Amino acid sequence: MKRPPMNSGLRQCRIRLTLLACIAFWLNLLTDYSNAETAPQFEQEILPILYHHCFSCHSEKQTKPKGGLRLDSLHGIRKGQVVEPGKPEDSELLSRTLLPAHDKEVMPPIKGGAQPLTETERTLLRRWIAAGADFGTWTHFDHRGSAFEPRSAIGSPQELTARIDQLVAQHHTQNRTARLPPASDETFLRRLYLDVVGRIPTLEESTRFLEDRSPQKRAKLIDALLASPGFESHFFNWKADQLRVYRIEGLPGWLYGDWLKEGIRSKQPYDAVVRQLVTASGYLWDNGAVGFYLRDLGMPLDHMSNLSRLFLGTRMECAQCHDHPLQPVTQKDFYQMTAFTFGVSNLASSSGYSTAYIPQWPEMMKKLDAMNADSGLRQGVSKTVSFLKRFTTDTGKPLRFPDTYPYDPALRQKPVQPETLFGDPIGHFTGTPREAFAQWLTSPRNPRFAKNIANRLWKFVLGRGLIEPVDSLSELPEPHHQPLIQALTDAMVGLRYDERAFLSALLNTRLYQSESLRETPAPGLPCDLRGPLLRRFSAEQIWDSCLTLFVPDLDQRTALRQTDGTYLDPKRLRQLTTLSADQLIARAQEERTYHEHHRKSQLRRLEQKQELDAAQASGDAAKLAALKTAHAKENAAASDPRMQTLSMGAAQAVPETDPRWKQLPQNFVRASEAPVPLPADHFLRQFGKSDRREIDAFNRDPNTTHALALMNGELTQRILARGSQIESSPSPLAPRSEALLQRVYRTVLIRSATPEELRIWNRFAESDAPSTEDLLWALLNSPEFLFQH
Amino acid sequence: MKRPPSELSRRRFLERFASACFGVRFAAQHPPLAAAQPAGGKAKSVICLYMRGGISHIDTFDPKPGKPEMAGVEAIRTSADGVQISEWFPRMAGQMHHLTLVRSMTSLLGIHEMGAYTAHTSYVMTPTIRHPSLSSWAVRRIGSPNAVLPGNILINGSPQHPGSGYLDSHLAPLPIGDPNAGLQNAALPRGITTEAFDRRSALAQALGAPFIQSTPNPDPATYQTLHREAGTLMKSEDLKVFDLQLEKDATRDAYGRTPFGQGCLLARRLVESGVRFIEIEDEHNWDTHNDQVASMRKMTPSTDQAMAALLADLHQRGLLSSTLVMMITEFGRTPKINEATAGRGHHPGVFTWWLGGGGIKAGTVYGQSDATAERVADKPVTMADFNATVALALGLDLRQIEHSPSGRPFTIADKGQPVLELFA
Repeated sequence: MKRPPMNSGLRQCRIRLTLLACIAFWLNLLTDYSNAETAPQFEQEILPILYHHCFSCHSEKQTKPKGGLRLDSLHGIRKGQVVEPGKPEDSELLSRTLLPAHDKEVMPPIKGGAQPLTETERTLLRRWIAAGADFGTWTHFDHRGSAFEPRSAIGSPQELTARIDQLVAQHHTQNRTARLPPASDETFLRRLYLDVVGRIPTLEESTRFLEDRSPQKRAKLIDALLASPGFESHFFNWKADQLRVYRIEGLPGWLYGDWLKEGIRSKQPYDAVVRQLVTASGYLWDNGAVGFYLRDLGMPLDHMSNLSRLFLGTRMECAQCHDHPLQPVTQKDFYQMTAFTFGVSNLASSSGYSTAYIPQWPEMMKKLDAMNADSGLRQGVSKTVSFLKRFTTDTGKPLRFPDTYPYDPALRQKPVQPETLFGDPIGHFTGTPREAFAQWLTSPRNPRFAKNIANRLWKFVLGRGLIEPVDSLSELPEPHHQPLIQALTDAMVGLRYDERAFLSALLNTRLYQSESLRETPAPGLPCDLRGPLLRRFSAEQIWDSCLTLFVPDLDQRTALRQTDGTYLDPKRLRQLTTLSADQLIARAQEERTYHEHHRKSQLRRLEQKQELDAAQASGDAAKLAALKTAHAKENAAASDPRMQTLSMGAAQAVPETDPRWKQLPQNFVRASEAPVPLPADHFLRQFGKSDRREIDAFNRDPNTTHALALMNGELTQRILARGSQIESSPSPLAPRSEALLQRVYRTVLIRSATPEELRIWNRFAESDAPSTEDLLWALLNSPEFLFQH
Repeated sequence: MKRPPSELSRRRFLERFASACFGVRFAAQHPPLAAAQPAGGKAKSVICLYMRGGISHIDTFDPKPGKPEMAGVEAIRTSADGVQISEWFPRMAGQMHHLTLVRSMTSLLGIHEMGAYTAHTSYVMTPTIRHPSLSSWAVRRIGSPNAVLPGNILINGSPQHPGSGYLDSHLAPLPIGDPNAGLQNAALPRGITTEAFDRRSALAQALGAPFIQSTPNPDPATYQTLHREAGTLMKSEDLKVFDLQLEKDATRDAYGRTPFGQGCLLARRLVESGVRFIEIEDEHNWDTHNDQVASMRKMTPSTDQAMAALLADLHQRGLLSSTLVMMITEFGRTPKINEATAGRGHHPGVFTWWLGGGGIKAGTVYGQSDATAERVADKPVTMADFNATVALALGLDLRQIEHSPSGRPFTIADKGQPVLELFA
């Protein structure tokens, strides 16, 4: 089997082949060997090699293909005389790839960033040529591809579930493989809570489900959880990592996150959310979606790279600076796509400030001139309205080709005409470029839009995409599971981009409700559709699961105030937009007076500290006390009530009044409610929560700090403090009794202890007399607690 | 039932575990230096002092005596011939003979976050990739002399630190929030005896075993091992390096009982224990938009004290020859004081970073700003150049290309040109 060359970079990752993965690998080699007689199929096996290794220089995408050679059409290959059917050694298509890396003639030339062919790929090429180099019906590669046409109408989650069940069964029949055995109720329960709500269930929630005798109880629980606030929290983490919801310099950036949460809460369809993001306009406090642009201030090219990676599953950032070395995506392609969004105000400017969108600005300037205002007041005015300078709208500013553009000097510094990379071309359009782009992007005819989100949601609950990496979509046909991918894409459109309905369909499948696949899949091998993949919890799942064990009604507890360290109050910012030019100037004057006053009092406080230090040093206690009293009086008299009206800040501390949580620190809320960014040594960061600088920048690698945190950290202490409550509720149980053991297992690992575990426990109980706290600690510190299975 | 003692010796055990978890390798031989890179390779450890907020150059290490831009602040003579610094740093004046001031630093980045990012990674921030910090590059390429302790430690760091970027997460700096508190969660909680802890651990190991046996994915087993080995680490002698109470009171006082002072002291202890890269962030916010003079009066004493104590201590212990100490910041500050606020704005055009020890020339100044500290007058140095110089001092290969998991090629210090004149 071939490995997609895009994965070669992954070789740097620590690839751990488990025993089973090794076996799978060898089986694959055996398959190759046994198939030695059957020739490789051109479109399935040879075309991808040409696509990733050759097309970036030898296709119609280049103004002048290198050496005049085009490998993206039958005509071009024949004309280039690079294939001698039946004679691999005489075929340049193969022989040039076999040269040593330093040879001038080697293909692809390594210095351009291209990747050499793998041994498997060379073998495929050799066998294909040896068998006569049959192109089948292929005549040329269609770079733009065709628009998506749904093939079957899947209009309900039930239909999708049935279709997936059918296709998965078919897959196993064809391959003579089988799904893993059905998951038990306990396994299903824990898995579903983790996948949908993002935490383990409470003992009460578990008991309710396990004691339910209804044959429909799984489907019922799926619906109930998808409709719960816990889902909103978990789904937000997933989306916020993709959209990189982070602070926005000088603005209350959390409004972007709030907007995203509201979209999930109000069940906005996915395509509508994407349209709102791409066409977002206005002030952040009126429309949180503009965070999508403010987030990438001054980086319009990267913004498009992220947009296409996220919504189209297509990585094209290489082409920001030069033609993509591993795909036929040119720098021109990239610029044409970026031209749709480039003109958004703020996006292309590194400061992100413009006075052009402040209606009061011209009048204010006239008045300041008339007043003969000094520079201090002018600065003050500029500062007062600074928040209003970041207004997101379309400016019509054109993107130009770079002045060093190497591929066609005639285009240098010329405006770029916006055009799409694949699917329907847009050509001429009316309205703003963003509107035209958003329409193309989210149209059912876009061949990658629905497919991308369907594949990502599949991975969200099953642990692995049908297409991996999830952002490797291209015009090549998918090498595996085509009918399944087609069905999921059809259904995404048929279900009108209702993510809950789509997830509900996946969660009801037999595949999802099978035992988990506990080995590590080897990169490059297809998803084998035997069961969901075992994986470590995300940092958020660990945090939220720990909190589940000691915070009552966790999902209902929200942060008392949202903050990202800016403490700006959106209400006050909104008021600013309603002030007249005169009012703004008056406000700036007041701010200036206040600011001067404030600075003086700060300086005075410095002096006071020196006075106190001196008194302290002299050892004169009476003088020290007298000074303190005098200072307190002085400071009280000097306090300026204008602070309250002038500040743009919201109150910093809000007390907890709910009796359920009064005793708990305010930071014990769901991870989705935590401030951004978190300190580097915070529990969530230590366990790999994304810093949201980049899409999905989380990680789940084991680290010693994890073990230390679970052994000695604050969350563990708080959970252990609940030990006596577990012993007594819902009914009192004797210490070290089997019933208590079972209750602790149910509470922490959401399952009953096995007879083997019972034996181990009894052995310890006899010799060490461990307490309930000891058992809680032991289960929190056993690896199973951290793994979703 | 107790687990039988491990057959591996404790040391080997820890070495194995440290390499698995903290990304530490045995101190590798420094790679042979190519002909084009004649200098460097003498630094075994780096201590990076990060002045958050963009510390003013004219008020610190690039004074312009007598100029109105000084706002009445004097320049003072130092232990380095002909080198003057601001009067706010009287103790550092006594250490100048160890350092080279690079007064011709320049950048295009006037936004804190971007300046800080490039200062650490040498690359310009983009939202499509996270670049590794120099510290992560260092431990990736040459490991750390001490095989047990993490090779990359960040004391009092900001949440914005770029960490290991796209490199493996175990190469990220281990954060130490409070230098007085030591390694987070490494001490037994109050009321728990070692015996009780061991009992719990044994129970956890025994109850954890069946899950691992039925799981070929190696991560759960790694957690089981980590758990065992973290227990060993908690009792390990090596952890004593984090215990500042083992220092004399006089020493602790010499550094100053501030987070930055005690952080510097901890850094010295970590260097003695063979940790490769330590960064300490000053707790002061040097973003002095208001009242420059008063702000400097308030903040400089403790910073001056800690820096000077660190240099003196390293020198006195003979560690300075193998330890490179550097001071970095996001940018400088406008030479002209803002009339309305009496403070200084952001000024990336020219600013000062310094470095010393680890084979770097001592007691000199490299490059110059112009008469009013407004622009570079001579020998401009970018953040990437400076970082390339430090990397070279560590013996890192600047030309070796590595690919990110997404296949993009990167080098240490983004093709910055090491300043060879800085080497002794």
